[in-house]
Amino acid sequence: MTHERVLAACLGLEIVLFTIIGSNFLTLANAGEIVRASAEVGLLAIALTPVILTGGIDLSVGSLLALCAVVFGIASREAGWPIALAAVAAIATGVAAGSLNAALVSRLGVPPLIVTLGTFSLFRGLAEAATAGVRNYSNFPAGFLFLGQGTIGFFPAQAPVLVMVAVGFWLLVHRTTVGRTLMAIGFSTDGARYAGVPVGRRVGAVYVLSGLCAGVASLLYVARLGQAKADAGTGFELMAITAVVLGGTSIFGGRGSVGGTLLGLATLAVLQNGLRLADLPAELAGVVTAALLLAALGANRLFEGRNRG
Amino acid sequence: MMTHRRELSVAAAYAALLAALWFIAPSFFQPANLRDVLVAAAPLLVAGVGMTLVILTRQIDISIGSQFAICAVVAGLLAKDGLAMPIAAAGAVAAGVALGALNGALVAAIGLPSIVVTLATMVGLREALRWTTGGEWVQDLPAGFQWIGLGQSAGRAGIVVAAAIVWAVVAWALRHVAAGRAVYATGSDAEAARLAGMRPRLVVFGVFVLMGALTGLAAVLSAIQFIDVQTNAGAGFELRVIAAVVVGGTSIAGGRGSLAGSLVGVLLLATAGPALVFLGAEAHWDRALQGAIVLAAVAIDSVRGARL
Repeated sequence: MTHERVLAACLGLEIVLFTIIGSNFLTLANAGEIVRASAEVGLLAIALTPVILTGGIDLSVGSLLALCAVVFGIASREAGWPIALAAVAAIATGVAAGSLNAALVSRLGVPPLIVTLGTFSLFRGLAEAATAGVRNYSNFPAGFLFLGQGTIGFFPAQAPVLVMVAVGFWLLVHRTTVGRTLMAIGFSTDGARYAGVPVGRRVGAVYVLSGLCAGVASLLYVARLGQAKADAGTGFELMAITAVVLGGTSIFGGRGSVGGTLLGLATLAVLQNGLRLADLPAELAGVVTAALLLAALGANRLFEGRNRG
Repeated sequence: MMTHRRELSVAAAYAALLAALWFIAPSFFQPANLRDVLVAAAPLLVAGVGMTLVILTRQIDISIGSQFAICAVVAGLLAKDGLAMPIAAAGAVAAGVALGALNGALVAAIGLPSIVVTLATMVGLREALRWTTGGEWVQDLPAGFQWIGLGQSAGRAGIVVAAAIVWAVVAWALRHVAAGRAVYATGSDAEAARLAGMRPRLVVFGVFVLMGALTGLAAVLSAIQFIDVQTNAGAGFELRVIAAVVVGGTSIAGGRGSLAGSLVGVLLLATAGPALVFLGAEAHWDRALQGAIVLAAVAIDSVRGARL
């Protein structure tokens, strides 16, 4: 696919550039840092890919990460639950919240943009209410913090989680009939329905999966930062959407790939990391990201010429 | 009556909220508090007018928060340079026009999807602003900046009146000027509009430019309430405005909606926060309540079979 090749070339260019102008960029330790810093957004972006493939969107993932983190904090620090149980509670919260999105989108037929706009506020609002806006949970056991701060050989502890989720979603989207139906739904919802695809169930399922991944991501987040607060994951949804669209998935659905999302994610993560190591202002990352996004869209429009406005 | 079903339900919901306040916490209706709610709602209304038009044409603009910040900073810097307030305000609006034109060009001329374009401009503009200002607030503004030198009460009244005038003028134009009908037509079916002799791309460009101008005005109305300008102003603004417009009945699919509905939507969301406090709930439930209101509004619509 042309788009992915161009993106890979961009990524290669970035790596070369930052090796030259940055200090200690091209090291294994730094690669680990890049993975560690982008793991949470990565999980969100990977799970967002099937959502966007069906022509939907999920603006609530960042807020949901916060809610799950707060639930985890309350369960383990206030209610004194064992860590494993608290983790299950966090993930269950993600699934429940994802189901709310799923029900509103697939059963009531409300446009995903509006549903997730509402849940974007609702989820973070619940997190803020639960912590009275200020409470912060910390002092987690070292065994748990290892997940966010430790290394397994050369790799950061988050890496296996990220890899498993990436592979899982790649298989789902690109190697199963379910994945094929997701693309069909995005390409033409009515067409998919007439072809016998259970559109409501499939669409609902991708939002539940997105919620589940937000729950897992919240655990990585809390383990990495060592604290659970209501402002967790602010802005993550935008970064995740950017990674997905940069990776070539059409915002209208029907076209895209998990591999593209991973490339998009890598491009953004390397950009942020490289600018930091090159002692350049962090804001430049945002500006370059915006430019890359527009360029990617424009290029897509030029090369593929499909008029689906 | 039927065509305004949605606006009526939102109005009914708002009336119910006010009734609840009347019985449970009548102190809400003290003039000072009502005035505060209206003044806080004014920038939201002005931007809501612009956003209604954008959504009516089947587009969206999530970059207005960043535009807001830039326009507020422009107004502050111009005032600091010694320019008279009307000129500083005009400068802010002009900045908004330029930013809106950027979005409009990318969406209308090149044909890129508005949600991604405005996602890019939202991030790019916000970071560019932070880069150039270093995150510093614009301070040491001349005395004539706050309340445009009119003093607090006249200033507050002026803000609310300005918002009301903007709303009334655009509401009138939307119904009675050909360009207004073109907005609805473009959102309903752009291709049909084109075949009927309208110019949908120009309409789309125009609504983004207007959105920018109104965001600039909203930024001025908000900025003049304080003695300095925060460079992180407008954070989350776009989502509050979109929520208000959607709650007010404008369909995200374009072609249906009204400024009357948006007015009620803005008032409802602007009242909900303070109402919470007066009804005895704690302020940190505010965001959750806003989200719940949006979800309730659209869910009820859906259950009643309205096309969203």
